Amino acid sequence: MTAPAGSPIAVNEPVLRWSARAQSIADIEKELARIWSTQDLTTEIDGERTRHIAARTSVMNLVVIARRPEVAIRGAATIQALTGRHPSRTIVVQSADPDGPSWIDARVEAHCILPREDAPETCAETIHLTAGGEAGRHLSAIVTPLIIHDLPVTIWWPGEPPFTSRAALDLFAVADRLVVDGSRWSGDGLDRLREMAVFAAETDIAVCDFALLRQSRWREAIASIFDDPDFLPYLRSLRRIAVTYATHDESGATGTTNIVRPVYHVAWLASRLELAVRKPLAEMVPAGRSAKTRPVAGVRPIVGRGLGATLSDGRSDVHVVVRPVVSSMPSGTTLRVELLAERRGSELRADVMAERDLVHVRVWQDGVEVLERHFHAARRDDVDLLEQAIETARRDVVSSGALRSAAELVGPPGDA
Amino acid sequence: VAGTRVKVKDPAPVEAPPDQPIPAQPAPRPREAPRTMRALRESRQGKRASRAKPLENVLRHGLRLERVPDPSVLVLFGATGDLAHRKVMPAMYQLWRTNLLPHEFMLLAIGRRPYDDDAFRTEVRASLEQFSRVLPLDDAAWSSFAERIRYHRLDFADSAGFDDLADALDLIDKDAGTRGNRLFYLATQPSQFSEIVAQLGRVGLDHETHDGGWRRIVIEKPFGHDLESAKRLNREVGKVFREAQVYRIDHYLGKETVRNLLVFRFGNTIFEPLWNRRYVDHVQITVGESIGIEERGAFYEETGASRDVLQNHLLQLVSLIAMEPPATFEADALRDEKVKVLRAIGTRLADPASEVVRGQYGAGWVAATQVPGYRQEADVDPESETETFVAARLTIDDWRWSGVPFYVRTGKRLPKRATEIAIQFRAVPHHLFRETGAEPDANLLAIRIQPDEGIMLRFGAKIPGLGLDVRSVTMDFTYGSAFTVDSPDAYETLILDALQGDASLFTRADEVEEAWSLIDPIVEAWASMDAPAFPNYDAGTWGPPEADELLAREGRHWRRL
Repeated sequence: MTAPAGSPIAVNEPVLRWSARAQSIADIEKELARIWSTQDLTTEIDGERTRHIAARTSVMNLVVIARRPEVAIRGAATIQALTGRHPSRTIVVQSADPDGPSWIDARVEAHCILPREDAPETCAETIHLTAGGEAGRHLSAIVTPLIIHDLPVTIWWPGEPPFTSRAALDLFAVADRLVVDGSRWSGDGLDRLREMAVFAAETDIAVCDFALLRQSRWREAIASIFDDPDFLPYLRSLRRIAVTYATHDESGATGTTNIVRPVYHVAWLASRLELAVRKPLAEMVPAGRSAKTRPVAGVRPIVGRGLGATLSDGRSDVHVVVRPVVSSMPSGTTLRVELLAERRGSELRADVMAERDLVHVRVWQDGVEVLERHFHAARRDDVDLLEQAIETARRDVVSSGALRSAAELVGPPGDA
Repeated sequence: VAGTRVKVKDPAPVEAPPDQPIPAQPAPRPREAPRTMRALRESRQGKRASRAKPLENVLRHGLRLERVPDPSVLVLFGATGDLAHRKVMPAMYQLWRTNLLPHEFMLLAIGRRPYDDDAFRTEVRASLEQFSRVLPLDDAAWSSFAERIRYHRLDFADSAGFDDLADALDLIDKDAGTRGNRLFYLATQPSQFSEIVAQLGRVGLDHETHDGGWRRIVIEKPFGHDLESAKRLNREVGKVFREAQVYRIDHYLGKETVRNLLVFRFGNTIFEPLWNRRYVDHVQITVGESIGIEERGAFYEETGASRDVLQNHLLQLVSLIAMEPPATFEADALRDEKVKVLRAIGTRLADPASEVVRGQYGAGWVAATQVPGYRQEADVDPESETETFVAARLTIDDWRWSGVPFYVRTGKRLPKRATEIAIQFRAVPHHLFRETGAEPDANLLAIRIQPDEGIMLRFGAKIPGLGLDVRSVTMDFTYGSAFTVDSPDAYETLILDALQGDASLFTRADEVEEAWSLIDPIVEAWASMDAPAFPNYDAGTWGPPEADELLAREGRHWRRL
């Protein structure tokens, strides 16, 4: 156990005030209790150790499941940057040596932040926990005793959550919110997206996907088109949605690039406009050749054609195209969303494109350009996204609707 | 728009001619009216199926927090003034820095001084270095923000100048794609409000046309000097702008804790059932300032504490504490309920002599500094009768609050800067622990607005030990601990709301007039009394002794802050 001497603390800079090691859950609990019962939390100012006032604050439990050490480090850094706004008891869990004997090694820390010069320090705890052997497979048994009861539990799973594994489901059962990043999943990410939709539908847990949050300015840009009363009547008359995304795979094989983000664009529109899926996403082929369902990785697709689907508003079909373009942008990034609406012989075409840190909206009505607008869309880091994920309403309509529609767009498992 | 809706013909109203008796029999049903429940249901469902969906931008659902204001120009009158530099510009910079303003945004600064764009930008930069709440400045954000600032020289009395302003705005619309959306912000002397509004109307800058974008106007307080002047100003503004276009700012309403009042009251189950005469003994609201009048002697001489704070900030806080839950969280629903409170304030303070206490500070010590009395301040009449302190006992004559006094006070040169609302609950009906000699105090809920924004609940607890000693303890929520980042400044909140067309936190014409109708009788009564024995409290104290007597005669006392 060590109680590191603090240095004079700078406003809004988290400082490590306590660090101790433990090898069992019981020892971790003891250390947590000891941090706050110790009267000698001291700080060193001008060479003199002086007592300072520190208030423990937690507004939630934040559990990070990191399968790799570098993910754990990145996750802990992200959360530390959030200490100010969302002081939480944070538990960063890693597994190691799955075939060896069971063991636990934990570092219990208290980080403090000075919100203002005249305010007391506010401190929150972080537990870095590595579990080896069989223990590492029973995440729920590790996490449950360490959470502060009565506070909400958010699980951040930066990797690929196994939505069908018993151990993961047991862990999710203690949580109120699950935060994932679908845009970092392997392959095209769509199988896991479907699994997540099923999981979300069957549980009360609120699912928040960074992949969907990243697109908030795109949604704002697209929605803004129809704020104009002249264009609003076209909203229920969409006939075509085309989403273009970046790929680094020059073969254009759609199964090799994560397309969760482009699919979310279509899914969001489908959910808001109550469009039913008539034909789920399938590889598009030229006329005369039969279409098979989503391409299998490694099977060379027809370059540049992407995936197609058909939605329906009950009266007419809405054709969907999700197509790759070789680009230097990060793989899977949305580059463009095009909408075509037809109403009583009149046509509205909207083109929403990424331009550096902007989203550029242009709209044509019957071939005449009628609107041009830009939206700031600065790149968002994990700190921003996690903050928004935590602050979003428990079950927000955008997220739950888009996830449900995405699963329908992807189609049943048999098609994969 | 109308083309997508199916018109349903209303049945002709069945009405007797005015000079004939009402027929005894009910009006006959139309022949095709469904008679059974099934027929009724089917006819309704049939109708619903054939009815086109109302036009609504459903893509907006769930995007409230992501909404960016429309492309627009903020036209800032009084741009070289203190308010613009201390509050408005830092708020605009912060909104820009955090991407909350539209990309197609321009700030047209209006002033009389002979600046060019660059000279004005240099001044703004210097102000931001001093007043921005996030320092150091972000150079990239500043340079892109500076590109959007233009300076336009204008003498408000110059009619032709407003024609030029209209041309300048049209040009900005063309160059910057701001689409005719304009927010006029009057950060000038109140005496110039009417003139500016009239000139804007004369050159048609108030007109909202289908393709010309929206036009809104933000008017800073004080809105009028008394009821008559407020009505006159409302009339003059109303000749040019519709009420829905007018945003009267009271920055107190943009403060995080004030906004939290609504969440606290209507977002929690446990408080509202207690929020009434049955459980509440009385309410105390204090808006205390430790500073004096600073450089504003001339202004304060004409204003005084009742007009400067009681008429607006204090009565707004009373409204928010006492209002009924609005049906929706929309501007007019909220403001309707606030106005009802003002209208229900009992007796309109018919007897200010006993219900209202005024004071003026003399010399004294505040925060270990010796300070002069009010009459010794610059630009103040040495025999001034202006009040720097006012305390009042209000009652709200409605079902919820009948008999519950609301004590309010505000003053300059009080011992500390503190704004707080205290809900003092009634004592328990039966004193079970009387024998122990340590009966706990009645419960108290204190909502601190500044400093140390937060909420404190006081309740009784047993002192650990073998005896049964009871002591009051507090459960304390501090914004600064639970959310350790800075809250947005009130001006950021309010300017963004105005750009988005959300008037919830702005005061409506009738609200302003109701508030003045409470203040006028007080001021008139004072005018008819003998000259007050001012100064009657020392700087650094909590006001004159009469303020304490206001509560003491009912067996109460002010909370020690």
